[in-house]
Amino acid sequence: MKNKRFAIVLDTRRCIDCKACTVACKAENNVPLGRDNHRNWVTEEPLRGSYPNLGQSFTPGQCMQCGNTPCERVCPTRATGVNQDGIVTVEEKKCIGCKYCMTACPYNARYYNEEIEAVDKCTFCAHRVYSGRLPACVETCPTKVRVFGDLNDPQSEVSKLLAKNPHRVLKPEMGTKPYLFYLI
Amino acid sequence: MTTLALPKRPGEILWFGLLGAGMLAGAVAVAMVLVKGHAHVYNVTREIPWGILISTYVFFVVSSTGLCLVSSLGDVWGFEKFEIIGRRGHLLAILTLVTGFGTMAMELNHPIRMGIYAIISPNFTSAIWWMGALYGLYLVLLICEFTFLMLGNRRLAFISGLLGFFAAITAHSNLGAVFGLLEARHYWYGSFMPIYFILSALVSGGALTALIVYFNHKARGRELSPKYAEFMLTMGKLQALFLGILMFFVVWKIIPGLYGQPPEKYEATMALINGPLAVNFWFFEVLIGMLIPFLILVNPKTRTVFGVMFAGMMTTIGIFFMRYDLVIAGQLVPMREDSARGAHGLLSYFPSLAEIAIVIGAIAVCLFLYTLAEKIFDLEGGHRH
Repeated sequence: MKNKRFAIVLDTRRCIDCKACTVACKAENNVPLGRDNHRNWVTEEPLRGSYPNLGQSFTPGQCMQCGNTPCERVCPTRATGVNQDGIVTVEEKKCIGCKYCMTACPYNARYYNEEIEAVDKCTFCAHRVYSGRLPACVETCPTKVRVFGDLNDPQSEVSKLLAKNPHRVLKPEMGTKPYLFYLI
Repeated sequence: MTTLALPKRPGEILWFGLLGAGMLAGAVAVAMVLVKGHAHVYNVTREIPWGILISTYVFFVVSSTGLCLVSSLGDVWGFEKFEIIGRRGHLLAILTLVTGFGTMAMELNHPIRMGIYAIISPNFTSAIWWMGALYGLYLVLLICEFTFLMLGNRRLAFISGLLGFFAAITAHSNLGAVFGLLEARHYWYGSFMPIYFILSALVSGGALTALIVYFNHKARGRELSPKYAEFMLTMGKLQALFLGILMFFVVWKIIPGLYGQPPEKYEATMALINGPLAVNFWFFEVLIGMLIPFLILVNPKTRTVFGVMFAGMMTTIGIFFMRYDLVIAGQLVPMREDSARGAHGLLSYFPSLAEIAIVIGAIAVCLFLYTLAEKIFDLEGGHRH
């Protein structure tokens, strides 16, 4: 979509590690069963403190829809592309299964989908977004960890959240310019 | 051309029997992959998508480049002693390259799709696209050079050989870049890989050249002529030099991985030093692959024809492990913390039986084609004794 730059802002303090996002994503996008097969995930950070005063944080993640895309750069057949709105895509019929994009992604956001016979990953549920709906993970999250929207619109919730709150991205040192922002 | 002769000696029958068994094992594994699919047959994972088939592919194409570079010393660079291995070296360079492509095709999920979309939808920023293009060009030039060598056309052999020499260096350094351009993989990233690949190719080529000269005589029950014996000794000295430089390179590959404990690079380096790849590294890469062959080759007493062959055989085995270690070590550090499942906080990979069978099959196919080619072509050329 022209003149848009989609992003997700996450408030990880709200995450309860229920993994509803992963389940919703799998159901929405026909992700095959299997340990390796997932478009999004929840990283369980190490336990803090000592018993009985324990704490733990969780960091949900998915394809970061990077502004500087190593996956697109390395794909020999241009199977991986980037839409005008920043959504990183995989054109199934062009994917040769070399898995170069998987080694290039610093977030391990890609997997090989045996059913569609191509590398697969989160697309922000582009099919839903382009018909005016929210990504499945955003819609399903019971504690509203994720907020989805257009960063080019200063009135969008994502723009406002980032304007108001300090935030970070994962692995900034990689220079990938991710569009998943984590509130601090 | 000579007619295709059936094996006559028991040794030859055993040789073809072994190769036949190896090829059968490979064929069964290939059939399993085609029927069941990669995911059910290979042990590669989401986190370690490149396994032993990729490292074997690298091993084969390193061998091809090395054979081309070493063989070019005679036909292209005018070192007369090396002219006697021109035909054999270039032939084996073609066969190792083709076998390498075959191994790669088994790792790719869509080799046919690759042929189509690499042409109609090329991505010039992809090192893998360039790898295909440059190795394709290199293969054509190798075939040209081999043809001209067989026809005895020295001028055209020189021209195609010179072009092939540069194609070999370009293609192979680019293969190093396939790894070296991955910013996400700190162990691989940087300009070291392309340079290291070229140097290790010379070692690989030198080792294989010594092997083919020795065994071509041994298999036929012939004594090495003085010219070949002298070649072997020269090759031994050159190989000692190549190995010396390779050891220097390996030391400088390790030091930056340890110094200051750079994140991710350090963990991958430690996987070799004191982790899951330690036996592969210290025993196969260092001891078998470099140190013992180097000691054999620098000592004039052990630098005999047999010694040069033996060192070559050890180096070839060592280089195979070197490729495996390189490909696997670069992927052992998880990209996400929650992925680590093995010891040392690293991921784990061990090739499946089918993956190993395909590797054995590939080696057997290569040796079978070479043995067959020895029977079909006149590879002595103008250097018959």
